[in-house]
Amino acid sequence: MPDLTPFLVTGLALGSVYALAGMGLVVLFRATGELNFALGAIGAASAMTAWQAHAWGTPIALAALCGVAAATAISAGYGAFVSARVARRSNVIKAVATLGLALALLGLMYFIWGDTPRRLRLPLSALNTELFGVRVTGVRVVALALCVMTAIGISLLLARTRLGLQMRALADGRDLSALIGIDVERVTLIAWTATGVLAGTIGILLGSLVRLEPGVLTFMVVPSIAAAILGQLRSLWLTLAGGLAIGVLEAIATPFQDVAPYRSLVPFIVAIAVLVLLPARTFQTTRGS
Amino acid sequence: MKHALPLTLAALACGFSLAMTPPAAANEACGSGEPATGEPIKIGAIVGQTGPADFSSASKSAAAFFDCVNANGGINGRPVEYLVEDDAWNPETAANAAAKLVNDEGVVAMAGSTSFIECGTNARFYADNGIGVIAGVGVPRECFFSSNIAPMNMGPRLSTLGAAIDAYENQGARSFVCMAPNIPNVGGWFCEGLAAWGADKGVETHNVLHDPATLDPTSLVLQAMAMGADAIIVAEPAPAAIPIFNAAEDQDLREEAIWLGPTSIYDTAFPAAVGDYWAGAIKAHIEFNTLDSDGVDNTAWLSIMDEYGNASDPRDSFSQGGYLAAKIITGVLRGIDGDITRQSVLEALQTMEAVDSDLLCGAWSFGPGDRHNANQAGRMVTMTADGWETSRDCFVSDDPELADIRS
Repeated sequence: MPDLTPFLVTGLALGSVYALAGMGLVVLFRATGELNFALGAIGAASAMTAWQAHAWGTPIALAALCGVAAATAISAGYGAFVSARVARRSNVIKAVATLGLALALLGLMYFIWGDTPRRLRLPLSALNTELFGVRVTGVRVVALALCVMTAIGISLLLARTRLGLQMRALADGRDLSALIGIDVERVTLIAWTATGVLAGTIGILLGSLVRLEPGVLTFMVVPSIAAAILGQLRSLWLTLAGGLAIGVLEAIATPFQDVAPYRSLVPFIVAIAVLVLLPARTFQTTRGS
Repeated sequence: MKHALPLTLAALACGFSLAMTPPAAANEACGSGEPATGEPIKIGAIVGQTGPADFSSASKSAAAFFDCVNANGGINGRPVEYLVEDDAWNPETAANAAAKLVNDEGVVAMAGSTSFIECGTNARFYADNGIGVIAGVGVPRECFFSSNIAPMNMGPRLSTLGAAIDAYENQGARSFVCMAPNIPNVGGWFCEGLAAWGADKGVETHNVLHDPATLDPTSLVLQAMAMGADAIIVAEPAPAAIPIFNAAEDQDLREEAIWLGPTSIYDTAFPAAVGDYWAGAIKAHIEFNTLDSDGVDNTAWLSIMDEYGNASDPRDSFSQGGYLAAKIITGVLRGIDGDITRQSVLEALQTMEAVDSDLLCGAWSFGPGDRHNANQAGRMVTMTADGWETSRDCFVSDDPELADIRS
């Protein structure tokens, strides 16, 4: 039996990013009924913008903020101009609309940045501590911390604030919410804006942790969807656990020669298992009208 | 591939070479005489331009070369019409493109093709139709195992092995890890070459084959390190190699192994992208001469690109391969007495005399066999903070699988 602890440590960092993205999907789905396939692409836009700003001489911290700002603008723009127009369509159509955004962004990014090798290195990468024979960089610690803080923060928002109440009301019935005086479009826009901030942050983290490449970052949405499905598109804490579990499982398969080449299948296997084992009605949430 | 930095460097290099060499140097490589007129001779190429990476560089240098040929006498007075198709990394598109070029356009040969999937898709079609293909750069196994396709380059398998041979002979490495994407006839095939050579030498070899879309380079690096090898060969395209070197930097593993790569990491944008940490610590095997070498062909390639290519065309090793493919097919076409047809071209290719070039280490010929891998020797370069410098001149990659070609 190989020593798995180093892989556990590396898997946790990747898992926290999956979990963060998964929570971003859950929050938006709960508020608007939209499954955001473009989360990865918006994150990629953030990472590429940050790289570009840094390449033009902006200090890295400010460049990262530029990236998050760009992601937030894209996400809020979609929330304001597209999301409202597809609000009354079925969830499938809403999801496909976000897929359109993802592919458009991906094409645009390849057009602008091509396939030149490049990297995004945060100063946090230089800070590190040794744990079970693995160097844990600052980026990994921040990813995990951010992941737990986001789960706590969003849970409090949904449970304790007026906005959270409105979001939950929207998820239960869009038209009823409008009837009782909730500004539906405002809540939708806020949800999209918040998702943009989250996606932008994830893009920067993943661009630094994994690879600064538009395609790779765009498709990181896939394991995140698996995490969100584990949370039944509803539970933040199950999504958090799901994301971490997928990241760790994927990493600890590494030293096993026979399965290692196939370990990126982990999110799919997890997602299929959850879909097969859980009753179908688990996933019904928003009632359109 | 398109890079802002290499373009700037290439533009500088071109300006430099133009300043140092008289304009005639470009023309000498492509002929002499009046601009060509009359019925064009059609040559085709299929490249993977749109898709995961842009593999059109070789066709761009070939196009520049043919433009130069046409301005300087053509093929005994006739111009070359160079037709390039994009296969979009899609086998069906590649098959359609080959049918269009061969059946509809009536090309007499192909030159400068570079694709991840085209060789496997169209090898049979070329054989059935008697079309000879000089690929600018061949990557997967099928490009080297077809009767009608002869790539200009050594191929990633020999390049990966070359990196290992250098570390074995000069740095005392006796165990290796081969890290490569798990794509059929690509990554596994590269690493098997190392294993076959290692078995002969009594050298220990291990593989880390992984999904090319993996999001977890740190685990790959830890897996490779756990194998306890002296040297790690990162046999990946440059954009995929960067995160692996980043992860190794995070773990501070520079001194824990000898770090190597094949030609794919020999990219002018690479040193800046992996950062100063790796200066002097990464060695790459290269299949053609260095991009700034001062031999006749390299100088001519750069000046032809400057005179006939676009400023935005890459000046990379793929481009060198395309230049050579175009130059060789031009020489073969000019030597044909009588009609230029696909049959006469294929026959001329199969019986051509070997051609020397400063871009290559040995003479190159198409050859009559069932498969072709004429380029078997390369050089080593070491990465510096802002570029690459040659650390070893020509040596052969002694792959046991080449026994049939050598005999």
